[in-house]
Amino acid sequence: MTLFDRKNEALTREDREQIQLERLQALVARLRKNAPGYRDILGDIKVESLTDLARITPTTPRHLADAFPYGMFTLPLREVIRLHSTVGADGVPLVVGHTRNDLTQWARLAARQLVSAGCTAHDVVQVGFSGGMFNRSLAYVMGAELVEASVIPQDTPHPHLQLAVMQNFRASILVATPTQARELINAMREKKIDPQSLQLRAVLLSRPVPAAERDELATTLFAEVRCNFGIAEILDPGLCVECREHRLHVNEDHFIVEVDKDELLVTAITREAMPLLRYRTSVRCSMEEGACPCGRTGAVLVPQGRMDDRLRVNEIPLYRRQIEEVLAQTRAAGHPFILSFSETSVSVAIRVSAQLFPDTVRELEALRKEVESECFSRLGIRAEVAFLSPITFGRQG
Amino acid sequence: MLRIRNLNCGYGSLCVVKGVSLHVSAGEIVSLIGANGAGKSSLMKAIAGLITPWAGEVSIHGEQTAGQPAWRCVSHEMVLIPEGRQMFADMTVHENLVIGGYHNPDRHQTIAEVLRRFPRLQERIHQLAGTLSGGEQQMLALARGLMARPKLLLLDEPSMGLAPLIVKEVFKAIRELRDQGVTIFLVEQNAMAALDISDRAYLLETGEIILEGAACDLAHNPEVKRAYLGKGYKEVWE
Repeated sequence: MTLFDRKNEALTREDREQIQLERLQALVARLRKNAPGYRDILGDIKVESLTDLARITPTTPRHLADAFPYGMFTLPLREVIRLHSTVGADGVPLVVGHTRNDLTQWARLAARQLVSAGCTAHDVVQVGFSGGMFNRSLAYVMGAELVEASVIPQDTPHPHLQLAVMQNFRASILVATPTQARELINAMREKKIDPQSLQLRAVLLSRPVPAAERDELATTLFAEVRCNFGIAEILDPGLCVECREHRLHVNEDHFIVEVDKDELLVTAITREAMPLLRYRTSVRCSMEEGACPCGRTGAVLVPQGRMDDRLRVNEIPLYRRQIEEVLAQTRAAGHPFILSFSETSVSVAIRVSAQLFPDTVRELEALRKEVESECFSRLGIRAEVAFLSPITFGRQG
Repeated sequence: MLRIRNLNCGYGSLCVVKGVSLHVSAGEIVSLIGANGAGKSSLMKAIAGLITPWAGEVSIHGEQTAGQPAWRCVSHEMVLIPEGRQMFADMTVHENLVIGGYHNPDRHQTIAEVLRRFPRLQERIHQLAGTLSGGEQQMLALARGLMARPKLLLLDEPSMGLAPLIVKEVFKAIRELRDQGVTIFLVEQNAMAALDISDRAYLLETGEIILEGAACDLAHNPEVKRAYLGKGYKEVWE
């Protein structure tokens, strides 16, 4: 079995419960001392066993939004050495802070995933997404360095360039989004490159994909395919490790997971800057326990999609409200529109009225460019804009 | 090897240790650090049976020992080396060692082994313990503890009152003991020295554990500084 941290990934039930209890008690004591907000939530609850956790009021995405930017930090800002932004419920911006130890732990957890995918010090790891759009790329870079692999952090997502890098540097592990993996396959077909001529041994995908899609990618790329599952507000990657049996094992020495009314609740027991107690993730999930042939003993998560209206466009999490806010910044503000979403882009159909567009096609073209450019620069997504007459708009709306 | 859950103890009506849980696995050096008055020595005494816990569980090798008297704890292959060495000052080094091996039928053979490990004591074997230097007394305390052939050694403030060079020597001896298979639970006020030789550590503040983790991680944790220096953390962000 390939485990980065054999001791902690294969804990016995008794040891795991002891470690979780110790860390939970320490966290609760720390929050009581340092975080006035949590003092009210915790009241006089004493945590004497893991079942006492259920008595604590869950933290919701709304709490995080209300506390923006630093209200959920439990240490002074001077101790927080990295800040990442993410999107919370309804598209509100959130900040996730990391202390030095948080980053160290994050690297170790990313390393667990890489090692599970087969990464060793002899590998060349190509991280296919940029640090700006996907914070998790930085964790994979740190994790690969910890494994002492050679790592190529990439900023250019163009598939042809990715392919060139993969060939030139003989990358053996690719960390990419499922969309990028598919684009890479298309690029290989266009350039008539045989995947077997590459050194690729494993692909680590940024999110879970259906088994059929995973198998197809594995067969086409002649590589092992593993998936990541994480929660950006807590830690992504880091929550789980997918093993060779394609089961998502929770890193239970760092997280306590519960399923309440089909929703995944996560308590981050080792995070210093922003430890969340019973965070409601808005992820529909079920949980399995029991021995796994891979040797890991962490509970197995089976995520089943979002419970809120979060969408995914070109692998970027997106809420309808975010598009509406962007449109409100353009000259189309205040006018009816219809949104439709695909995996790679969002379509905006705007109703054309005589008042808004009195004469020329040129003005319509300028507005189209404005909306497309604003969507790309503010949200990082491609928008396709169409104009509809009031009659057509009425039919489609 | 040692597992504690929700341990409470104190003196009179004063609760000093408040619901502490911790564990020490075989072959580890685990430190319990914290400022003066945090409750470290009281916790150690409760584990060793010198004070009776008010509540909670203490188990050694899976066997419950909470509330058992100190003399029984020795039968669980656990020995406490108390704060301030507590030598029998009017007895020789040899006599101190013999007393340490009171339960050990092979004590004379063990004395030879222990003296090989601490050659300085061999030189002072007939000297009164009270006439030894602080460092030598600490070595004698360690040697006396080893006479019971413990698998788990509880060390309470072994660096107390010693010069920095001697502290280094004592800590080196502790590391060597671990390398020879003795598991060590170390209570220490000298946080950085303790973290330097430990695998894991716990930070105790006013009777509660507020941090737990790998010793190398705790060494960088601002909470450790705060626990010792008492810096006010009223503002969450500045």
